[in-house]
Amino acid sequence: MIEFAMALVDIRRVEALLADGPLIPTEIPASLAGLPVSRLQFGAEFCESLLPGEAQVRRVVDLAERRGLALSLVSPLLSDGGLDRLAPLLSLLPPGTEVVGNDWGTLRRLRDRYPGLVAVAGRLLCKMIKDPRLPSAEWARLYPHGIHSTSFGAVLDRLGVGRIEMDVPPFAAAEDFRSVGRSVSAHAPYGFSVKGRACKIGSLNLDQADKFAIGHACRRECMIYRSELQRPGSPADLATIQRGTAIFYRHAPEMAAALAEAVAAGWVDRVVVAGDWP
Amino acid sequence: MKIVAPISAVDEVQPLVEAGADELYCGMVPVEWTERFRSAGVNRRIFGNLTNYDDLGRLIEQAGERGVAISLVLNAQHYAEEHMDALLELSHRFASLGGSALIVGDIGLLALLAAEGPAIRRHASSLLSCRNADAAAFHRELGAHRAIFPRDVTLAEMVRTVAATPGLEFEAFILNDGCVFEEGNCHTIHLPSRQGGPICIDGYETDHRRVDFGPLSDEERGRLEANEESYRQWLWYRFSCGFATTAQGLPFGPCGLCALPALAAEGVVAVKIAGREGNTGRKVQSVRMVRSTLDQVEAGRAVAATMAFAQGLRERPDLCRSGYMCYYREILADGRAP
Repeated sequence: MIEFAMALVDIRRVEALLADGPLIPTEIPASLAGLPVSRLQFGAEFCESLLPGEAQVRRVVDLAERRGLALSLVSPLLSDGGLDRLAPLLSLLPPGTEVVGNDWGTLRRLRDRYPGLVAVAGRLLCKMIKDPRLPSAEWARLYPHGIHSTSFGAVLDRLGVGRIEMDVPPFAAAEDFRSVGRSVSAHAPYGFSVKGRACKIGSLNLDQADKFAIGHACRRECMIYRSELQRPGSPADLATIQRGTAIFYRHAPEMAAALAEAVAAGWVDRVVVAGDWP
Repeated sequence: MKIVAPISAVDEVQPLVEAGADELYCGMVPVEWTERFRSAGVNRRIFGNLTNYDDLGRLIEQAGERGVAISLVLNAQHYAEEHMDALLELSHRFASLGGSALIVGDIGLLALLAAEGPAIRRHASSLLSCRNADAAAFHRELGAHRAIFPRDVTLAEMVRTVAATPGLEFEAFILNDGCVFEEGNCHTIHLPSRQGGPICIDGYETDHRRVDFGPLSDEERGRLEANEESYRQWLWYRFSCGFATTAQGLPFGPCGLCALPALAAEGVVAVKIAGREGNTGRKVQSVRMVRSTLDQVEAGRAVAATMAFAQGLRERPDLCRSGYMCYYREILADGRAP
């Protein structure tokens, strides 16, 4: 049975969407259309500056409960300071709530200190080549991923992770999602290619000497602006977007078809639809 | 504190050791690997690799005669199931030749090597994005003896992680090759230059939009364009100031020399010079820069004096003052250990 989740970073967008009727995902393959969203995935995957506050998490927990939606709290790659800020958020979650961890430290902490929560390995940990400029499928075949390998699975087992999140890579095949013994969520209709820590847009309002430094206090300019990127003379590139610290690509029709095939085969049981990012 | 330097040929052992390297790391892509997998994907670099075990053995032997340990990089972005037996074989042969440590960028491989690999040291590569003490402890749990901090970690963050993780050594970047994005979260390929090269310096045109679909004001557009120009300047610094060196061959670009006193004081045991694909001269001069600055630290010179020494090496104080060459820019602001 396929489940739709909607990924949202901005609490205002959560409030606005839930003020209307049932959430119906758009921008997904036609063969998957029509089912309502049954899960909220709230939080930022790509920057610890966007970790929500306690009031936001309380509000989302309440909204999800009242609307009968399951909830996943999403977290990015974190410093120790970021883990400090995540800890009180985890304490607000009802038992059984999923937490998507995007660094090994977060997953270890979930295993050791929060046995009542359900750890999910985020797409930053599930690595594959996802270059929007990839010239051909031959390039993709040179770098096969190991997300379903025995050794990676052993690490996930050690952390008690039963679900992983994946992107749809360029030149994807349905088999890319075939796991033995683990549930697979796939993001649509965008994948992420690369992320940094030095933030271009987050430096917009900084003095020249402070721009692109690590650990500066930004004004969350990524909540206001995004950028479309284009290489002149490269029309075959996937549509490319930069938002905040990361670069994303939009699925081509062939990639969406591969995802639909993986869903039909039962290899993907949850599609995470982008709600407000990128 | 040890200086960890890149090496890509047997005849580089002597000059690198004489310049002051304490440990050397190399890449190896055996012919059998290339024939079997049709790729160079043993590690992150296409070039700068050894290709046969004879050379690897001689390199290890010559380094060993000088008391210098050799590490082997197994730091591709990821590996697939079919790679694992070949990587285990390579690891065992490396160890049998006297190799000292494996630098591992794949979490599954790290765990596999602890269980089935040779009884030599394992270093968690920067590709594993060890950004916090819990991650470091997990790498230790998986059998790592050392964690290499990724680029773009602050000194204060390192201090906290090191202090909270006994039983694990830490290494930090000190010179050269500044990735724009995080290596551990880069899922792109360094394409041939005619196809764009690395994505971080590819010729993208940027079209800024408001998320709320509203129009950009002239003032917004002006600030965004000015920020783009600043970003281009920063990229120039990040890529070795136009891939340049001083007249003496000292490389410009990413540098953490001013932070050496802080790194040494806070228990970082090794500093890494990047650049396996560079030429011998660049590698040797890089080691000399680090060695001479570390000599200042070990001689007990004051932090400010050590920083002044480091900033004087390239005789371009203007470039240093920009802060855009710094791995640890915060050290410029306070001029002291965190």
